[in-house]
Parts: sequence; C-alpha cells; structure tokens
Amino acid sequence: MNTGLFRPASVAEALALLARLPEARIIAGGASLVAMINARLVDPAALVTLAGIEELTGIAEAPGGGYRIGAMVRHRDLALQTRFGGTLAVVQMAAVQIANATVRNMGTIGGAVAHADPGLDYPPALIAADAKIEIAGPGGRRQLSAQEFFVDWYATALQPGEMVSAVHLPAARPGVGLYHKLARVSGDYATVSVALTMAHDGEAIDTRVAIGGCGPTPLMIEEVNRLLSGRPSAQDLRRAGELLQDAADPVDDVRGSAEYRLMLIPRMLARAYDEARVRGGAT
Amino acid sequence: MNDTLEVRITVNDSPIVLEVPLTETLLTSLRDRLQLTGAKRGCNQGVCGACTVMVDGMAVRACLSLTANCEGQSVLTIEGAGADPAIAALQDAFIEAAALQCGFCTPGQLIAARALLAQNSRPSIEDVQQGMSGNLCRCTGYNRIIDAVRKAAQRLHP
Repeated sequence: MNTGLFRPASVAEALALLARLPEARIIAGGASLVAMINARLVDPAALVTLAGIEELTGIAEAPGGGYRIGAMVRHRDLALQTRFGGTLAVVQMAAVQIANATVRNMGTIGGAVAHADPGLDYPPALIAADAKIEIAGPGGRRQLSAQEFFVDWYATALQPGEMVSAVHLPAARPGVGLYHKLARVSGDYATVSVALTMAHDGEAIDTRVAIGGCGPTPLMIEEVNRLLSGRPSAQDLRRAGELLQDAADPVDDVRGSAEYRLMLIPRMLARAYDEARVRGGAT
Repeated sequence: MNDTLEVRITVNDSPIVLEVPLTETLLTSLRDRLQLTGAKRGCNQGVCGACTVMVDGMAVRACLSLTANCEGQSVLTIEGAGADPAIAALQDAFIEAAALQCGFCTPGQLIAARALLAQNSRPSIEDVQQGMSGNLCRCTGYNRIIDAVRKAAQRLHP
C-alpha cells in the first residue's frame, strides 16, 4: 500500500519511506502544505509526518557555541527564545514576525526552509546569520550554507529522497542582529524584508545583509557586505543600496509592484543599517 | 482516491473515531461530520482565524490541520469550552463590550484570546493587538475586542 499517512519514528525510517514512496510528501507543521492542499495546488496520495521523530525536536547548544535547531521546532519556540543574543537576534526577530501567534504554534523551521517561499521570513534571516541547513538523505547527512540551499522560486538544493533535518546557527557574535519587514498588514508575507547582522570584534565591524521578497531567493552580495563592514561613508551606504537594487529581480504581485520593491530596497537598507549602528553603540 | 483512514481523537472530552480521506482538514471533520459549526470556514488558508480551536492545549488553525494527523490528540472547540473559566469570562466581557456584531469571527476570537491570556494574564493593548493579529473581524474595528479581552483579564486576575 502506498497511500495514506506514514508515521516514522526516526529519520532513518523517514528516509526509507521516502525511498519506497517517491510520490509521498513530507508534512511537518502543515501550515503551508495544508493551505496548498486547500487551494488545490497539491493533492498528495501519501504523506510522511515527521511529528513522531524525537531527533527533530528541540534546540541544542553546540559544543563550540551556536545551536542545532531541529527541523520540527515551531516558529513559536524560536519567537519566544531568549538565548539568541548578539548577531543571532536576527533569527528570533524574524520568527516573531511570522504570520500570527496561532500559525506560529503550527509552522516549523524545517518546513519553512524546505518550502522556500521567497516571501518567508526565515530565509533572509538565516543567510544573514550565516546558518547552515542540515540535510538527511540516503547517502547520510550533509550541510549546506543557507545561501547555497535556496536555489530558485520554491526550489532548494534538496534532492529526491532527502529531507531537512536541522538548522545550525553559528555561535552568536557580540553586536546586533535585526530583521525589518515591510508587509501590507501584520502577518502577511514580506513585500520586502532586510535581515542584517553587525558583529563587533574589537574595533572591527563585520556586517552581513540579506534582502527578502525581491526575487527567487534572498539576495546577499559580498561586495555589499564589504562596503557596510568597518566604517562606511554615506556614499558606501548608497552604493550598497544600488548594488542590491541592480541585482534584485522582483516581480509585480498583489503585495507591490517590482518598481515599488526596488524603491524600498535602499530605504529599508539604510533604516536597518542606521538602527544597527545606534543599537551597537557605534557613532 | 477513495481510501479513508481511521482516526481516533478526543473532541470536547468525548472520544471519537472518524473515517476520513487523507487530506480532510480538522475543520471539515468538525463542521461536516460532527456538526460542530462554531469554528468557521473563512479563508481556508490560515489567514482569518475564524477556525481557531485548541489541540492539546495549543491554539491552532483547524483549516490547516489534517484530521488524520491529529491521531490521539485532544480537540477543544467553542462548543466544549463553556465550562472553561477563561472562556466564560471572555464571553461575558465580549457581550458587555459589544465586541461582536455578526459573530462569524467570535468563536475564533474567544479561543485565540484564551490562548493569549494563558500566556499573558494581564496583556497591554499592544499585547492584545499582537497576540490576536491573526483573528480578523470585519465588524467591530477591533477596539471593542481589545477592551473585552483586557476586561476579562482583569476579572480573571484581579
């Protein structure tokens, strides 16, 4: 029988099911998948629920600092997280802004990253935080940077038979992490979002920026990060905004026109950057 | 596909066995099989909050929950919540504050408010706005709902 709901008790069992039932879909929290079923975008004959897999729950501190966040950790648990200081605050700040309290009780970080909707809040935040996505597959476990993981509209580096098993955050660095989202109403997908981390290492300042909602995947440009690290001039900040605008590939949709989104990028970047400087105690 | 799955859940303290297709939502099971029509089908996309119910003590969207995936879980809908002191206080406060007009969103508002009060016993105006941002109301303009939730909170925790 290859229809129905399957409840593996371990990642190994889940992978065996995925190998045996190539048409099966994984269900995590259901917040996106069931909405898609209701909209008749998908009609899965078989579902593999990850709800019974202990290994996918919980947030564990890594030996060298940092955290391993199980794929089934709910948005609520990250939104209420008090351990994420310094640069890692970007992840908590993104989680708080996902949808609303009830949906945050349901949705999971693994489901969100595997879904890879460009309007989601986690992808830019995870890229700014320099997170890694842990993938379990027939060949064992592998890790990809969040930047490598998101490859196109709703498309990730996951291969058939693979699943997201965890998200790894590096050790928090002293400094600031923040996530700004412009949305039509509270809880909507981002029209444009900016995730920014600013790490202070003595005199040195290391800045990373990722833009969401402006193309198939979050946008991060090394040259922009370089321009905004250290003590950038007003001209550097302007240049950074232009580079992001040039590289962005937004669409016209119900949340805003492509032109409007392009206009927002430098403004939201400047606002996020200024807030990070002020909060970081820089002059 | 005509295959159905047997699911055992508890609804408002009664154990129930359902035969459902894989993709049937909890909202459909509650409304169409169990005739519990308190939870409403508004958007069916998780946006409007009219279908909010409690599952194992957590407020969730019944429209985004698959019944088959609720095996062994305990569901509380507005029909079964009358004896809950927080729900009773909220119902009184909603009536006094005139926090409803058509009433379509009210069961979801009450469940969401109960979840908020379980986490924050004396919410500020902003806390209510944030905590209940996922429950749309097209009649009241929200201020009366905020007043009612805070009034109920005051009575529950004087």
